[in-house]
Amino acid sequence: MATGHDQSVGWGMVSFSSFLFIYYTVWVIVLPFVEPGVFVHNLFPPRIYAIAGPLLAGVLGLAFIGVFVCYVTLKSKKKKS
Amino acid sequence: MARNKYSVLLPTYNERENLPFIIWLLVKHFSESGIDYEVIIIDDGSPDGTLQVAEELQRIYGKDKIVLRPRGQKLGLGTAYVHGIKHATGNFIIIMDADMSHHPKFIPELIKKQETENLDIVTGTRYSGDGGVFGWDLKRKCISRVANFITQMLLRPGVSDLTGSFRLYRKEVLQKLIDACVSKGYVFQMEMIVRARQFNYTIGEVPISFVDRVYGESKLGGQEIVDFLKGILYLFATT
Repeated sequence: MATGHDQSVGWGMVSFSSFLFIYYTVWVIVLPFVEPGVFVHNLFPPRIYAIAGPLLAGVLGLAFIGVFVCYVTLKSKKKKS
Repeated sequence: MARNKYSVLLPTYNERENLPFIIWLLVKHFSESGIDYEVIIIDDGSPDGTLQVAEELQRIYGKDKIVLRPRGQKLGLGTAYVHGIKHATGNFIIIMDADMSHHPKFIPELIKKQETENLDIVTGTRYSGDGGVFGWDLKRKCISRVANFITQMLLRPGVSDLTGSFRLYRKEVLQKLIDACVSKGYVFQMEMIVRARQFNYTIGEVPISFVDRVYGESKLGGQEIVDFLKGILYLFATT
């Protein structure tokens, strides 16, 4: 069994991702079928962000990986020379 | 029907303290199950006198049970297997770590799995069933899970633990795989399984507990991560 601290971090991660998943699903799939003007729409930003958000996150993620790989490669080259 | 004999390949480097313990456990579990075995110790010129300890163990347990195949210097895991397998008299080969992270008590389970399902390869898994790891902190566990996820997604290996090195192979299968693999380090372990799938060998899994070194640093730095990613992409592109 994992330690208590690790288990709570695990549960935190699971709940956070479930929340994100449900939020995003409602935003993109459920809301279009709900009449405009119903209060629920106020809980979600304009739908353009449903595309922009993940796109930006993806670009930042790839950029981070790229920078990380370059940094590590350069560091090992410097060490070898 | 010829009896099966199992050769355990044990590459060692500075395992002077662990070696007697591991040999004792191997002898105990093999004898209790009435299994025919030999242990092949491949020492890479350990400066701490591991070889002397191995020779002493050979005197205690007999030259037919403890076989020494030492090398002059640290030459790597893949070549250690090649070197060890050359004079192995068993028809099955077991590979494992000598630093007590793999417990010999799982060997009879690996053997039983192989026999009941007539498999070419049985690998210990830390990620399914009862399997697990003791001694890793949160960061290390996360890294391991993410890495395993990436390998599952890209390579679809059909086994839950691709980097594990506690395995049982038929001797001819191991020989063929070693000849076919080109990578080094733990990417080599991954490549073995991926190539085994390519050649349509049957693979089974047995949950094991992996006990990480409680002392002594086994660093997982940025360089290891980058090497892993490169290895994964190479395997993805070529298989």
